[in-house]
Amino acid sequence: MSKSNNNYSSKHLKWKLLRKHISPSQLVGFSLASLIGLTIVILAVQFHQDVRPIFNDEESFIKKDYLIITRAVSTAGTLLGGSNEFTQAAIDDIQSQPWCRKVGKFSSNDYSLYATISVGGYGGSAMGTMLFFESIPTEFIDVADSEWKFDPEKPEIPIIMSRDYLSLYNFGFAASQGLPQVSEGIISKVPIEFTLRGNGHNDTMKGRIVGFSNRLNTIVVPQEFMKWSNERYGSGLERNPSRLILEVNSPGDVKMQNYLDDHGYQVAGEKMQQGKAQYFLTLVVSIVIVVGIIISLLAFFVLMLSIYLLLQKNTKKLQDMLLLGYSPSEVARPYINMVLAINAVVLVVAIVLMLLARAYYLPMLQAMGTPGGTIVIALVVAVIIMALISVGNIIAIRRKINALWIQQS
Amino acid sequence: MNTITLHNTLPKVFAGRADTGSEIWLREVTFERGKHYLISAESGTGKSSLCSYLYGYRTDYSGTMAFDGRDIRQLSVAEWCEVRTHHIAYLAQDMKLFPELTALENIMLKNSITNHKSEQEIVAMMNMLGIGEKVNSLVAKLSIGQQQRVAIVRTLCQPCDFILLDEPVSHLDDQNNAIVAQMVMAEAARQGAGVISTSVGNNVKISVDKEFKL
Repeated sequence: MSKSNNNYSSKHLKWKLLRKHISPSQLVGFSLASLIGLTIVILAVQFHQDVRPIFNDEESFIKKDYLIITRAVSTAGTLLGGSNEFTQAAIDDIQSQPWCRKVGKFSSNDYSLYATISVGGYGGSAMGTMLFFESIPTEFIDVADSEWKFDPEKPEIPIIMSRDYLSLYNFGFAASQGLPQVSEGIISKVPIEFTLRGNGHNDTMKGRIVGFSNRLNTIVVPQEFMKWSNERYGSGLERNPSRLILEVNSPGDVKMQNYLDDHGYQVAGEKMQQGKAQYFLTLVVSIVIVVGIIISLLAFFVLMLSIYLLLQKNTKKLQDMLLLGYSPSEVARPYINMVLAINAVVLVVAIVLMLLARAYYLPMLQAMGTPGGTIVIALVVAVIIMALISVGNIIAIRRKINALWIQQS
Repeated sequence: MNTITLHNTLPKVFAGRADTGSEIWLREVTFERGKHYLISAESGTGKSSLCSYLYGYRTDYSGTMAFDGRDIRQLSVAEWCEVRTHHIAYLAQDMKLFPELTALENIMLKNSITNHKSEQEIVAMMNMLGIGEKVNSLVAKLSIGQQQRVAIVRTLCQPCDFILLDEPVSHLDDQNNAIVAQMVMAEAARQGAGVISTSVGNNVKISVDKEFKL
């Protein structure tokens, strides 16, 4: 009895009637196209998420980009004594460019500087070298430290050193010479003595490394120390800076690149290359996403055409069902359910494919030192795209069936 | 629903004709619940059009039609679904059966949304009409007369205030005509429903309170 009731349920009979003319090959075609489109989109989004950290070595939430520029040193300039300094007019011009947010000047020591490191307790076994200092405004320094100040009454010089120098020692020099590698913590505890000489003065002061910078490819001291020491030991001549640090909107900016080229400015470090690489990464990912979206859209239209064709072939049947008292939404439901089921399967399979592809490339990224980004964004994108496609499908089916309500005479 | 009224109605294809000689078109007509009406017509006088207007799937007419005084042009889709499942039982001239379903499935497709009759009652009605052994036959395999009887059973599978029959017995012999008439009268009496039947000659043999010439 229950079996026979089941066989005569409106749901069963409706489906028996309306599935006629459904073309499996069209649905498979749609499903495949939709699957490919969606997989491409979310894989591109996921890849972008995973790769991006390689280009962002700073963890700051709102990312800023800095470039250090110098004027190109030419052979003629060297021979003829041409200036490599930035005039105030040149600095003002850079400051006024739309891609530039802030300009900071490097100032350097105008006196003789000698540094000595005492090694161990062997009674004065020491290493020494001529050295230079530079300073820039504190706002450009990426190492936050409360010790970043200088008091002439208690002279001790805080120093920030490029992290590259330490890496060069640890991975280049120490590794090849069998010397122990040193951590940032250890090297910060090594006392350094500086001898400052000039203008009739000759003083020795203690110094300490308080931090390592990724951004600054130099040895930096606080600006107040630089000002004080240049007044005390220097010649007293005001010099224009030979290096500038710029905070820019995007280091890959083509306009900026052209400006720097036109003025013969050079960019230190690979920040700009990185910026370009990141720019191209974003560009390529964007293109891939657009291609994926186009495929998804085409798949959407294939399904729409397929359903329109199906509804067209079943027009008489659908109208007769409406005359029996079935509402348009009841008549639409088998088709809507079918589309939702297909879309749900496509969504799940696309996510699985994306995760499989990710499992394939992730070890390579991990070898480059990045753990990979979150998958939440790609999942959200997948669900949103499928939801939009499904809503589009449902609206189209409903409208098509509502249009059958009034018959032409 | 107690009354169906036609006020000055005319199919648009007849527009411009001054006098159609019709007792329906361009007249004031009221059908009352519980009464039996016969609309006799010649071919091409708009008989099926009248039915399609009253069932809400065509609107190409001028004038007004109303259920209980309410203009039917104002009914929503949901209200029409309610009319089609609870107020007017309709047998179309072309029957509108689904050939790929069996006779019983065709009837159950209607009955499953109205739950008006049990499966046994339906099979009993089919037996009365001599199509008992065709219960599980595809409609496509039935003769036109058998199809007409399946469609009549389906029409009666719903609660209603009016039974609207468009040439219900055009393909039936006298004996089956009589059985159909008896069955329709019984269902109408049970529900207190009115019956509006059209015919081009072979009338269903029901008692008629009023006859209109279309």
